[in-house]
Amino acid sequence: MNKIPEKTRLELALADIKNSFCNWRIWLLLSWQDIRMRYRRSTLGPFWITLSMAITIYTMGLLYGHLFKMELSTYYPYLAASMLSWSLIASLLTDGSGIFVESEHFLKQMKLPYLTFILRTVTRNFIIFFHNIFVIIPIVIFFHVKINAFTLLFVVGLFIIWLNAVAYSTILAILGTRFRDITQLINSLIQVIFFLTPVMWSPSILPEKYQYLININPFAQFLALLRNPLLGISPPLYAIIVTLIITLAGILLSFLIFTRYRARITYWL
Amino acid sequence: MASVTLESVSVDFPIYNLNARSLKKQFIRLTTGGALNSDESHKCVVVKALDNISFHLEHGDRVGLIGHNGAGKSTLLRVLAQIYEPIAGYIHFDGKVSPLLDVMLGINQESTGYENIILRGLLLGLTRKEILSKVNQIAEFTELGDYLSMPVRTYSSGMQLRLAFGVATSINPEILLLDEVVGIGDTAFMDKAEKRFHELIAQSSIVVLASHSNDVIKRICNKVILLEAGKVKYFGPADKGFSLYQ
Repeated sequence: MNKIPEKTRLELALADIKNSFCNWRIWLLLSWQDIRMRYRRSTLGPFWITLSMAITIYTMGLLYGHLFKMELSTYYPYLAASMLSWSLIASLLTDGSGIFVESEHFLKQMKLPYLTFILRTVTRNFIIFFHNIFVIIPIVIFFHVKINAFTLLFVVGLFIIWLNAVAYSTILAILGTRFRDITQLINSLIQVIFFLTPVMWSPSILPEKYQYLININPFAQFLALLRNPLLGISPPLYAIIVTLIITLAGILLSFLIFTRYRARITYWL
Repeated sequence: MASVTLESVSVDFPIYNLNARSLKKQFIRLTTGGALNSDESHKCVVVKALDNISFHLEHGDRVGLIGHNGAGKSTLLRVLAQIYEPIAGYIHFDGKVSPLLDVMLGINQESTGYENIILRGLLLGLTRKEILSKVNQIAEFTELGDYLSMPVRTYSSGMQLRLAFGVATSINPEILLLDEVVGIGDTAFMDKAEKRFHELIAQSSIVVLASHSNDVIKRICNKVILLEAGKVKYFGPADKGFSLYQ
């Protein structure tokens, strides 16, 4: 009998990534189905996402604007842009670790490239984000928020977030399948990160000597990457550099982990 | 001509007890140094589901997997479906593998019958074009008529099975993997389903079927693989296999 060639892990991982992107119809349909399932049989359907975000931002803005003694005309746009960006980052983080666990029935019944499920969850959260984004439009009009060349950087920021979402979801999903506590851990950390990151409060109210707390917070940098363009301001150079480094590290690390543990995922389910 | 070759394939399942799966335990182990290492609890048990399996299937083979519960029938099917990549040994396929392990997989309650046909078709590896060209034929087979534009949750369970079966059997498989043939709907539909099922099998180059029903295997298969505790005890003509099994 002929010797059967053994495919290397690297080849199999690359094939998985390539096939996942070729399967775009599958993950697009599945992610859209996820959203429809969540709002099934409600009249407004997915626009409940927009509505609940609008209620949160419009009411919180009024209270916290006064609490922080800030002009509503500056605080409202700031809060809206922050909350929208944060909701995307937070939902990506909380969903990441459960991706393979929740797709168990698929993974155990048929061969689909693993990355298909990562892309499904990432896409789902981006679709939700695009529903949320409508909330900022009345604020932009009412408070005359600047729209200029920097606004276009929003697309670049979104792309960088997407790269990170795919990379870090892969890492979290593999870890979360092997160690089931990861999901709980992230859920409890996300609250803390929310308060430590300038989402509701503006970095300007932090005294100069504590500014480093923002600089060492990677989430604050990603937030600035999305929030600033929405307000017509360029993200600080520092944020751009830090996020790019984190992105490169994430892609490299996720690729290494994926290549090494890809075949084990179904065994851990 | 399709073919399947397995060469000393083994599959081990690590069974992590609750402790080994939690980070806490790993963390405590780190911080307490060697003290806990004498503890047996973190050593995970390994179940040998398949042990050194080799065989070769060729065009025309209709193979029944037989063996007691836990003998490794489902695991072997999943290895053939490339769901579990073996930890040792090689598998080589010539031809496309179509697993039909769970007929209802991917059927979504909120989507309409037509939407489900498209998604399920994509999951089965069909292109959008192929599915669209088959939609009418599937609709005709399922006899669901206007119901196909309604959400699947409005279907009776028999109708849901019809839909799922209709799509699942619309593929043109080379290597077909089946787990427990399901009974479909009322008696009138049963004959139709039966006929379509046998057409599907006739089209396939290789069929591997796991079932607890010896009658089904005797009717469909010309060869059997008798599994016992993850090992191939017998591979060859069906008659002899059954006499060994019983």
